Amino acid sequence: MSASWKQLLSQVLLLLVSCRHVNTKTPSPTAPALAPLPTNVSSVVLKGKSHTENIQLLNPVNLTLVCIWTGHQNTAPNITGHWRKDGEEIQSSRRSVQVDSQQYNMTRVFSIDKEENLGNYSCVFGDEAKIDFILAAPQFDEDRDKPIISYVGDSVGLTCKMANPDPNTWTWYKENGTAKELISAEPQRYEIKNTNNHTKLLVHNLTEADSGVFFCGAVFAIHTTMRPVELKVITFMEPLKPFISILVEVVVLVAAILLFERCQSKKKVPAGDGTTADQKNMLPQGDDNASEGSSSMRQRKV
Amino acid sequence: MFYSLNRIMSPAPADALGYKPLDGGWGWMVVFGAHISIGFAYSTPKALSIFFKDIQEDLGASSSEIAWISSIMLAVMYAGGPVSSMLVTRFGSRPVVITGGLMCGVSMTTASFGSSIVYLYFCIGIIGGCGLSLNLNASLTIISKYFLAKRPLANGLAMAGSPVFLCFLAPVNQYLLGQFGWRGSLLILGGMMLNCCVAGALMRPVTPLCRPSSCAPPKKVEQPDKQNTKIKRSFVKNLKTFLDISFFKDRGFVIYLIGNVMFIFGAYAPIVFLSAYAINQGVEKYSAAYLLSIMGFVDMFVRPGTGLIANSKWIRPRIQYFFSFAMVFQGTCHLLCPLIKSYAFLVVYAVFFGIGFGMVFALIFECLMDLMGNERFPSAVGLVTIIECVPMLLGPPAAGSLVDKFGDYKYLFFMCGSVIVTGGLFLFVMNVYNYRMLAKEKRAKNRERNQSTAENQDQGNVSEAEMEQTEMNGAQQDVENAETPIEM
Repeated sequence: MSASWKQLLSQVLLLLVSCRHVNTKTPSPTAPALAPLPTNVSSVVLKGKSHTENIQLLNPVNLTLVCIWTGHQNTAPNITGHWRKDGEEIQSSRRSVQVDSQQYNMTRVFSIDKEENLGNYSCVFGDEAKIDFILAAPQFDEDRDKPIISYVGDSVGLTCKMANPDPNTWTWYKENGTAKELISAEPQRYEIKNTNNHTKLLVHNLTEADSGVFFCGAVFAIHTTMRPVELKVITFMEPLKPFISILVEVVVLVAAILLFERCQSKKKVPAGDGTTADQKNMLPQGDDNASEGSSSMRQRKV
Repeated sequence: MFYSLNRIMSPAPADALGYKPLDGGWGWMVVFGAHISIGFAYSTPKALSIFFKDIQEDLGASSSEIAWISSIMLAVMYAGGPVSSMLVTRFGSRPVVITGGLMCGVSMTTASFGSSIVYLYFCIGIIGGCGLSLNLNASLTIISKYFLAKRPLANGLAMAGSPVFLCFLAPVNQYLLGQFGWRGSLLILGGMMLNCCVAGALMRPVTPLCRPSSCAPPKKVEQPDKQNTKIKRSFVKNLKTFLDISFFKDRGFVIYLIGNVMFIFGAYAPIVFLSAYAINQGVEKYSAAYLLSIMGFVDMFVRPGTGLIANSKWIRPRIQYFFSFAMVFQGTCHLLCPLIKSYAFLVVYAVFFGIGFGMVFALIFECLMDLMGNERFPSAVGLVTIIECVPMLLGPPAAGSLVDKFGDYKYLFFMCGSVIVTGGLFLFVMNVYNYRMLAKEKRAKNRERNQSTAENQDQGNVSEAEMEQTEMNGAQQDVENAETPIEM
């Protein structure tokens, strides 16, 4: 692993990149993994004041970041530029940048071989322009914000999906206090089913102690991306309480309505020919003529 | 003559009922009960879809397998119509609705313990569907027993239960899902559906025979016997008409049926695909979901409003025409939809969609009651619902296949809109024809009757009543059919 050879190689690549049409902002495709660290180049041309570039890394790589700034109207012959990582200035990265055909050019090679090397790298031109490169492992699409609810004694499946690219493998952790415990397959308890782009953790014989946050980890060479999945285990009594209360309410209402009706009809019986509304429904047949005539008249008026 | 034609489009006379309907008082409690019952009937199959994703993950089913739950439930609900009609005619509305409520409660409660998709098909789909079909038919029938003059309004209020309950159930289901998971939610939903039993308790029967506690006072004991035989005879008659041949001889019924089938075929597909269409036009996901909520919200107010309008002096005699107008309006909305590109106009479309949908559904059963009369309504509605099963199940997949084939949603809207507009126009034209024919037949009958007035003094009353208010087929059939004399 000769760093200077790598640097030379990257400089050559840089020249090739600069000679081409400069308006592209896409990073070059990932180089296949070689025994020594592979190289990669990301080049950004900035026309305004700032820009953010997201770079997805799966494997350790020697990454060359190229910043080209077209400057503004009063282009001074030189400007002081420096590099930052996660907001902090990188030691001895400050140097003077010369104008070259109306462009300022800053280049630096970073060795990204550990998780700690991922982060937000910025090249800063004086106080005026900045390009951010966010180096990260592939992230999950979206967080499942709602907890998964399951019942004591039941089984539940927790899934995680990663659209692209496919991780090398998957791992599962359970949060225990602040630490994360690795989960391995246990018969009758934990079962892990993996495919290329998604994983499923089956937990059998749930108990209330199983409630908590689980983490699924998508393992890449450079870093394992985690995603929390919350599980809540409840007993069957929990939904049973509202159910019973609704049941009681229904029974009470039905009884009340039927009792009310019985009371009303008892009041009507001693009244005999009473004129309450319900009795009108039960007119004897003989009155049909009159009712028929009046109701049909009423219809027409309607 | 056309004026008199319009004038005579009044509903079947009260004399066929044998009593004067309440048109108020306890009737409004019955409307409330019907509102709850119909609300659960129409909104449950739709509201269940909120649980589908979780059930799918838990039971390992595919999306189409899960969607079958709703389809089976709707199909059974509609197909159970004739059975429900028979039970309602035999036992009255109250026991049937209480049974329906119990079945629904049991169905959801047992479904919460399910561990396979077939078990859910049986519990939710079949048992739940049966329960809902009992509810639907019985609720509509009891309204026709309690209301005549204010029946369109009562129908509008009762049918408004569907959008109200959908608006209520959707967020409640989401909340329950977050708190208790799908199993607990189904359990609690089962409990809520037991409230249909409360609705059933409210549906106090009007004939004296159904419950001993509400029997007529002793001096009217002789009447119950006559009523008893009358009910037995009508039960036997209904058994005969269950196999629907005599209904198909009724011109008005066939016209109504054809128009309805066309409407139902095109009615549900736009609802199913509205969100997808909006997202296709570039609208954001949550805003697209809002469109359906807007439609449901508008629907909630339009239904009773339409009932009120239909009850008015001017519209009531022409209610069948109003129904055709509502259908044409709805169809035109759909035809205009593909011209809409922006979200603001989509909201306007959703509002008009809600208006049209509400208008049609407020009138759909009122028009059948108007055509059939109280006696034949329960069997008629059972027959109509079982036949409507077919377009209801075929409509959305047919529309979906259009989308798949052409890759464009506009053909879906064109198809649905044109089918509905055609149905509406068909109803309008055929109703004009039908009433002309009815008037002709009536005049011929009156001439015959006048020639033999001497036989029975009651007949004089009959013809007088007939001339005063020429009625629909319902009354005609009653006159023709000696089994149900106008008076005893």
